[in-house]
Amino acid sequence: MLGRTMHGIAYDSLHDEFTVPQQFGQAILTYRGAANGEEKPARVIIGPHTGLDAPEHLDVDPVHNEIFVPTRYGAILVFPRGSAGDVAPIRTIQGPNTMITGDAPIAVDPVNDLLIVGGSAGRGQVRLLIFNRTDSGDVKPKAVIGGPRSHLYSFGGPFAVLPAKGEILVSVRGPGPYAELSSDEAFVGVWSIKDNGDVPPKWTIGGPHGVLRMPRGIALDVKNKNMMVSDKRLNAVLTFHFPEIF
Amino acid sequence: MFRKSLRTALPAGLALAAWLGLGGGFPRPVARLISYDQLSPDGEACEPSAPTVGSLMAAELPLRNILMQTRIALDAAWTPFDASQRKPERTIRDPYAAYSAVAVDSNHDEVVMTDENLFNIWVYDRNVKTSPGKTSEPKRIIGGLNTKIEFQCGLYIDPVNGDIYAVNNDTIDTLVIFSRKAVGDVKPDRELHTPHGTFGIAVDEEKQELFLTVQHDSAIVVYKKSAQGTEAPLRVVQGDRTGLADPHGMALDNKRGLLYVTNHGSSHSVRENPSPRRRREGSPGFPLTRDDAVPGSGKIGPPSITVYPRDAQGDVSALRTIQGPRTQMNWPTGLALDEDRNEIFVANDGGNSVLVFDANASGDVAPLRVIRGPASAVSNPTGIFLDKKNNELWVANFGNHTSAVYRPDANGDAAPLRVVRSAPPNQPVPGLGNPHPIAYDSKREQLLVPN
Repeated sequence: MLGRTMHGIAYDSLHDEFTVPQQFGQAILTYRGAANGEEKPARVIIGPHTGLDAPEHLDVDPVHNEIFVPTRYGAILVFPRGSAGDVAPIRTIQGPNTMITGDAPIAVDPVNDLLIVGGSAGRGQVRLLIFNRTDSGDVKPKAVIGGPRSHLYSFGGPFAVLPAKGEILVSVRGPGPYAELSSDEAFVGVWSIKDNGDVPPKWTIGGPHGVLRMPRGIALDVKNKNMMVSDKRLNAVLTFHFPEIF
Repeated sequence: MFRKSLRTALPAGLALAAWLGLGGGFPRPVARLISYDQLSPDGEACEPSAPTVGSLMAAELPLRNILMQTRIALDAAWTPFDASQRKPERTIRDPYAAYSAVAVDSNHDEVVMTDENLFNIWVYDRNVKTSPGKTSEPKRIIGGLNTKIEFQCGLYIDPVNGDIYAVNNDTIDTLVIFSRKAVGDVKPDRELHTPHGTFGIAVDEEKQELFLTVQHDSAIVVYKKSAQGTEAPLRVVQGDRTGLADPHGMALDNKRGLLYVTNHGSSHSVRENPSPRRRREGSPGFPLTRDDAVPGSGKIGPPSITVYPRDAQGDVSALRTIQGPRTQMNWPTGLALDEDRNEIFVANDGGNSVLVFDANASGDVAPLRVIRGPASAVSNPTGIFLDKKNNELWVANFGNHTSAVYRPDANGDAAPLRVVRSAPPNQPVPGLGNPHPIAYDSKREQLLVPN
């Protein structure tokens, strides 16, 4: 049931499952952690009541058992983690106050009870919108990180949170003449969940002017203090030892 | 510092840290949730102001703990806050080309391949000799940032002048066209802005029309063959009746006036959205996009081959559909047609096979022939081309660094007549093709990488 176009994945270490969006089929697929080969998903969320339009990104809160899915029409849909079939979201964040522009990366921090959502801030600028994890409706974000000093040009892909240190890791696409393909200005930046406003990253890794060309997704190996990042232009997955942030 | 009271029922496996809280008189033990994943064995995985006892997992890995302490000592010498020049400890990357589409220029006896790993177009002598254990020597390579070549999946060679039409998939919305003499990091001779997610290409030389499939919108767009820039399509095939569902490869039957399309099976309905919150895609004449998706209308169906009149337009029903378990289709991708034998050839990516069907087939039918097996070297095939002049069938194998040549009537575990290879035999194939999100499975210490 997987498609060849997947822009999100979340591994749930508490329940040993991973969850991916199926963009064209408008579905959320959850597999057991050891799934291999032509294995059917354990659960599928799909149907007219779901409100799913073209799900690209998602994140799973394994502590409070919820799945967060952004839509292209500017809503964040929240589903029970164990749900399947044609289920409606249990709550939705949507409206002009939210500043959500739709279909951007998302990350949930179940320890600090936060939800971090990517948003557009005009041409060549994006921002991080920080909500309370349980927010619902047309709510304002409690903090917004973005602006020229932030160097948040464009999101490269899904970002990650490190709850124990209150850090947000974001892959940032850089500007330049070949920005569509590759940029020497690309990097992974680290911000704090306590940041607000036009705040530069606390750390940058892999760039600017480093090895990264077009960073995409980020994953964290907390035990070994490693950060893994995929890079579109390198068509590669790189592992950085990054103990400073852990 | 965030503090969280211990809940009455916490899921098993949560990492907790306990410390003595001093507020309110008597010291009282409280607990806070610091992580739901396995922590570092050095016990430093939370902010230092919290006097943690350690994670539940900390005592399990004494050897790893020693190694980690050594590494921490080395880490102390690093410059804080700027890790921009830090090199990765490990990189998963294939140093060799991964062929994704193949086409023959029979006038010049050359074979052309796209490459979704190193982002090149490779041109070989059609009869290139490859020594055992060696790689094949190309005649020309086109690649580099000026070329706008990236994840290229569809390929067409102009039978008259040898121009190379190469389709970029969902990272660059541009069809690039090079003259057959192009070499190196050159700008395309012609570019065409396309809908997002184009994959397959076919050209009607008689009518001078160019067809592209669009995965994301389950559509086909038809342009003038000479179209360039932001020129609009002549017509679009899209809608619920079409049966298009994540379409990939295409083949034209000019003799019978038919168009064949492979579909992976997933789709949703689209209705024009007059006021999308923010329209990110679309140009005049383009198909409706994901901004027009009807929420909740999605379906994940079985793969198929759908057949249309060559001049189909709008929300037309397929004339026939080949679909069902007997077909063995699993991510059917590249498509080729033999008008004389009336057979269609399918690069069946997920099935590691080449399927050959009667072109008149309909419904749940078995293929006439299947090329599959260890001797065949068919491995995640995504591109296929029938060279009628030389009576050869070419298959681009994304899964093993080869493009292989067969007789068109090959069947079973048939060994290829010859092979073009980008890597020495048996080199590992990471299989990366546009890795986007990644996840870390901390239980198995494995990386999950969708492509």
